[in-house]
Amino acid sequence: MAVVGGRTQWEIGGQCPEETRLVRAPAGVRGFDPADMTIRVGAGTPVEELDAALAEAGQRANLPVSPGATVGGVLAVGRDDLHALGRGRLRDALLEVVYVGDDGRLVTAGGPTVKNVSGFDLCRLLAGSLGTLGLLGEVILRTWPRPAAQQWLAGPCDPVELRRSMYWPSSILWDGEITWVHLEGHESDVKSEAELARSLGCEPTDGPPPLPAYRVPTGALEAGQPTGSYLVQIGTGMAYVSEPRPIPGPGPAVVTLHQRLKSEFDPRGRLNPGRDPLAA
Amino acid sequence: MTAKKSLGIDTEEMASRPALGIDTEELASCVSCGLCLPHCPTFRVTGEEWASPRGRISAMRQVQDHGMAVDESFLASMDSCVQCRGCEPACPSGVPFGSMMEATQAELARRRRVDWRRWGFRVLGHRWLLSLLSRSLAVVQRLRLVPSKRLGLPKIPLVQERLRATGNDVWLFTGCVMDAWQRSTHASVKRVVESAGAGVALPSPGAACCGALSLHAGLEDHAHALAARTMKALEGSAPILVDSAGCGAVLKEYGKHLGTPEAVAFSERVMDVHEWLAAQADQLPSVGERRRDVIVAVHDPCHLRHVQRAHQPVADVLSSYVTMVTLDDEGLCCGAGGAYAAMQPELAASIRDRKLEAINRSGADIVASANPGCTIHLANAGVDVRHPLEIVDEAIDYDG
Amino acid sequence: MKFRKADPLMRDLRRVLPSDRVRVAPLERSIMGRDASIFEGGRAGPVCFPISTEEVQGCVDAARRHGRAVVPRGAGTGLAGGAVPLEEPVVVVATKMNRLLSVDADQRVAWVQPGMINLDLSRALAPYGLHYAPDPSSQQVCSLGGNVGTNAGGPHCLALGVTSAHVLAAEVVLMSGESVVLGDADGWTPGLDLRGAYVGSEGMLGITTAIAVRLTRNPPAVETLLLAFDSVDAAAQTVSAVIADGIVPAAIEMMDKNIIWAVENFVGAGFPTDAAAVVIVEVDGLPGGVAAEADRVAELAVERGGSVRRATDDEERALIWKGRKSAFGAIAQIKPNYYLHDTVVPRTRLAEVMNQVYEIVDEHDLQVMNVFHAGDGNLHPLLLYDAREPGIMERVHAAGSAIIEASLAVGGVLSGEHGIGIEKRDFMPLMFSEADLDAQARLRRAFDPEEMANPGKVLPTGASCAEVNALGKVPEGVWG
Repeated sequence: MAVVGGRTQWEIGGQCPEETRLVRAPAGVRGFDPADMTIRVGAGTPVEELDAALAEAGQRANLPVSPGATVGGVLAVGRDDLHALGRGRLRDALLEVVYVGDDGRLVTAGGPTVKNVSGFDLCRLLAGSLGTLGLLGEVILRTWPRPAAQQWLAGPCDPVELRRSMYWPSSILWDGEITWVHLEGHESDVKSEAELARSLGCEPTDGPPPLPAYRVPTGALEAGQPTGSYLVQIGTGMAYVSEPRPIPGPGPAVVTLHQRLKSEFDPRGRLNPGRDPLAA
Repeated sequence: MTAKKSLGIDTEEMASRPALGIDTEELASCVSCGLCLPHCPTFRVTGEEWASPRGRISAMRQVQDHGMAVDESFLASMDSCVQCRGCEPACPSGVPFGSMMEATQAELARRRRVDWRRWGFRVLGHRWLLSLLSRSLAVVQRLRLVPSKRLGLPKIPLVQERLRATGNDVWLFTGCVMDAWQRSTHASVKRVVESAGAGVALPSPGAACCGALSLHAGLEDHAHALAARTMKALEGSAPILVDSAGCGAVLKEYGKHLGTPEAVAFSERVMDVHEWLAAQADQLPSVGERRRDVIVAVHDPCHLRHVQRAHQPVADVLSSYVTMVTLDDEGLCCGAGGAYAAMQPELAASIRDRKLEAINRSGADIVASANPGCTIHLANAGVDVRHPLEIVDEAIDYDG
Repeated sequence: MKFRKADPLMRDLRRVLPSDRVRVAPLERSIMGRDASIFEGGRAGPVCFPISTEEVQGCVDAARRHGRAVVPRGAGTGLAGGAVPLEEPVVVVATKMNRLLSVDADQRVAWVQPGMINLDLSRALAPYGLHYAPDPSSQQVCSLGGNVGTNAGGPHCLALGVTSAHVLAAEVVLMSGESVVLGDADGWTPGLDLRGAYVGSEGMLGITTAIAVRLTRNPPAVETLLLAFDSVDAAAQTVSAVIADGIVPAAIEMMDKNIIWAVENFVGAGFPTDAAAVVIVEVDGLPGGVAAEADRVAELAVERGGSVRRATDDEERALIWKGRKSAFGAIAQIKPNYYLHDTVVPRTRLAEVMNQVYEIVDEHDLQVMNVFHAGDGNLHPLLLYDAREPGIMERVHAAGSAIIEASLAVGGVLSGEHGIGIEKRDFMPLMFSEADLDAQARLRRAFDPEEMANPGKVLPTGASCAEVNALGKVPEGVWG
């Protein structure tokens, strides 16, 4: 059994066998009080719809807004967008989730408030679990104000030096030669930080470069001779490469913990078979 | 292992007196929040709860409220306390830790059948005896017959200059050990006070000891006897200036300890000499050129900072004469603690190591400390440490 | 129970640690029987002070061989009883593992040992222009390992997130004795977020032996505003208005009349003692945004009848914060004991729940003071009492239960930052269904199938019955 979202990242971490029964999560905004800065939505809600609803209140969620993708899909895959450096991690956007467990029961993890340490933090575990521990049904997300101004710049400068000089860039990307930086915030601040970036050799540009196909930890870049092109997402431990390359594997204890978690949460292997978070 | 065997504790006496005699209200006042922990020098160096104020209070409760026996680990917990009282200003609930520790020590002293301190501290009350012993010690030191460093002793002078009274505006409290071992400090203090236009009166022989060491060791009767003598020797209404933080702290608490109106009035006259000088700042002579460039870090004696809470005037007075730097350790104790350095040499040295690191980080040439115990303890580790008013005395341009 | 040198557990522990770092004297064990919570009845077994990961592994191995539970402990400042030992477990204390292992200022990451004090880390980072963002009110004493255990918060977690968002990786000794690194100090590694599951697990999944923390750049501009109001409602509404206006300040803290008075007596922070409530708002970041947001916050406050004071320098700012952070202790001037609650409510329901808290406290004839992280909706009602008053505990506990129920009724949660421990363990079913709790138990079993790490905490399930019954002096049903 597997939940299907927008199929935008359907093959990440392996493929479900053909006989897998596919279900869809409920869609739609279930509750939104802008003054709480949290929103409750069905996991099947398209991210674009979520974004449009929040934009009306001048807010946004820290989820990558890709056409066709669903909120549940994006959370289950757990991939940060290019702004993790400044906006924080995707996994931290998730406050509460209602999921379907292996035995068909509805389980609630986390809580609706922006701060909560009641019990173990299953939300972090479920974000990026590829639906292998539970099928996401409904979520509550933390939202943030949409910044007044934003700006991409690019140029041949040292990304480390750039990061040292800027206060809070939302993204720094580096392909080995060119550095891209994204600024957002109050208008005068974006302007002054952009001036700073220009003094280091960057010029305004329309947006980030296209992403190479495969995501790897930055450690994988250091491990072997680079082949093909790459793009490093500075300060996040993530890089994108055009040719697949070996990723240093996890230690045996980490593998064992993955196996044990799977067998505790889904002893019969019913949930999203064929997919493995370690291979994502 | 029983306590009786190793510690000379009278277990029969113990059985008949289960409580420690700590005030119940005081003992109940700790809510165990733990905010005292980082301000306790022994917790800082050990990381162990029994060596912290919260742990010690918990131990006191076990013995007083829950009938647990006084054993080795209880004694270790109590005797490892420097009694710096750094926990008191840090305590949001205002727990009177010093008072509880003094009560506990008094009770333990009653139970200890043999304690060298009973006899050792008696010497402090007899100027002639202390002077005789000191002079013998000075001779023995020069013959290299005693390992002074290991025992935490300073170099004791063979010949002391004689101090002469110059008026009746203020008393200068001269004390016991300090007068015998560091009289030159008194001389400096006296010159600085006189330079502010005051005539200095000196106590007659006999007003020799404030009783602090006896009090901290739990020898209350002896401490009270010394207090009575001291009060008699410093009569009148003139302010009593003290240049030793440990003595000043106890003199200021005579009122509390003795509870008599005379003692209360006496304590009100007591001032740390820096408090008095800071109030006379405009009377003090100007600085000679030669000392401006000296970098001085002030090490606040615990009994000035935590008990008297009067450490700021030291910096105020010094800052007109030298360049000051601040130690970044939030005034943590140096480990001297009166007789502590001699009683608990290992802990005292570990505590001092932290202080030495802070001193090194500060880049100071000289460390100023207004307590003889601290100066001796730090000097033994090779620090150039002086009484603040010795530094001022040297910096003042008396001719200019 | 007496421990003798010949005791096989002791023998094994002393093979791993020198004897002065395994403490068994009854007094030392009784001292370790409590933390900063109200629970005094804990019973510790041997108390171990390891100084390396290998020694921690050795302690766990020895405990496992002898069927003993293991309870990790940091500074012992937890308020929910998470570090209170039940059934004489081996207590593994982190205080001697208190070093800063490495700092990489460019990568903004530091490795620290679990016993390092939170504030000591930020002090050590000052020369780099960096700090560690989570700042619990006990930051001058609480340990980073303990912060990981409770997923600690603090005033400045409003904009930047609680501990979990600032921990990149943790080296953990599992109850199998294995040492494993969860997460990745570089920032990302493929697989489940084991790091995220571990943070906030209250010592029930393993023992932390090293932590990679994310470092935050010191803001170039800071504005601190002290807003004073004639009513708690106006203060709470201003907090909601600020959030609704799209401002996420670095911190929004609120204090009511009683606590203002107590703090003023204690530290003299210059708070207006005639106000019904004050709100401290701090905005930081780049100068343009900071100025604009501070102006807007002031406007919103004035619109709701508030008066505004802006800190003019760092000294004034420090004094305001000193007032806030001294609050919990200052109450001792009024009553010797306090019970501190920690529920969170949706920020739009703040005023409503505050009023309910006052009503509940009146009904039970108690005194309350409120000082809390208003921006997060994280309430901290302090119930004041004198434990020597007969029958008082029943009233304190009844009022506490009512406050929890009122918070949950508006969609709130049991704890915002202190954790569940033994304090709120039996309240978990009010917030979670059987299936929800079962899911949490599954996480526990995946890490620690034998339930050897800190048993008897957080989960109210029958699985830990033996330990629950061993609470000793802890009142049965926690609230007695």
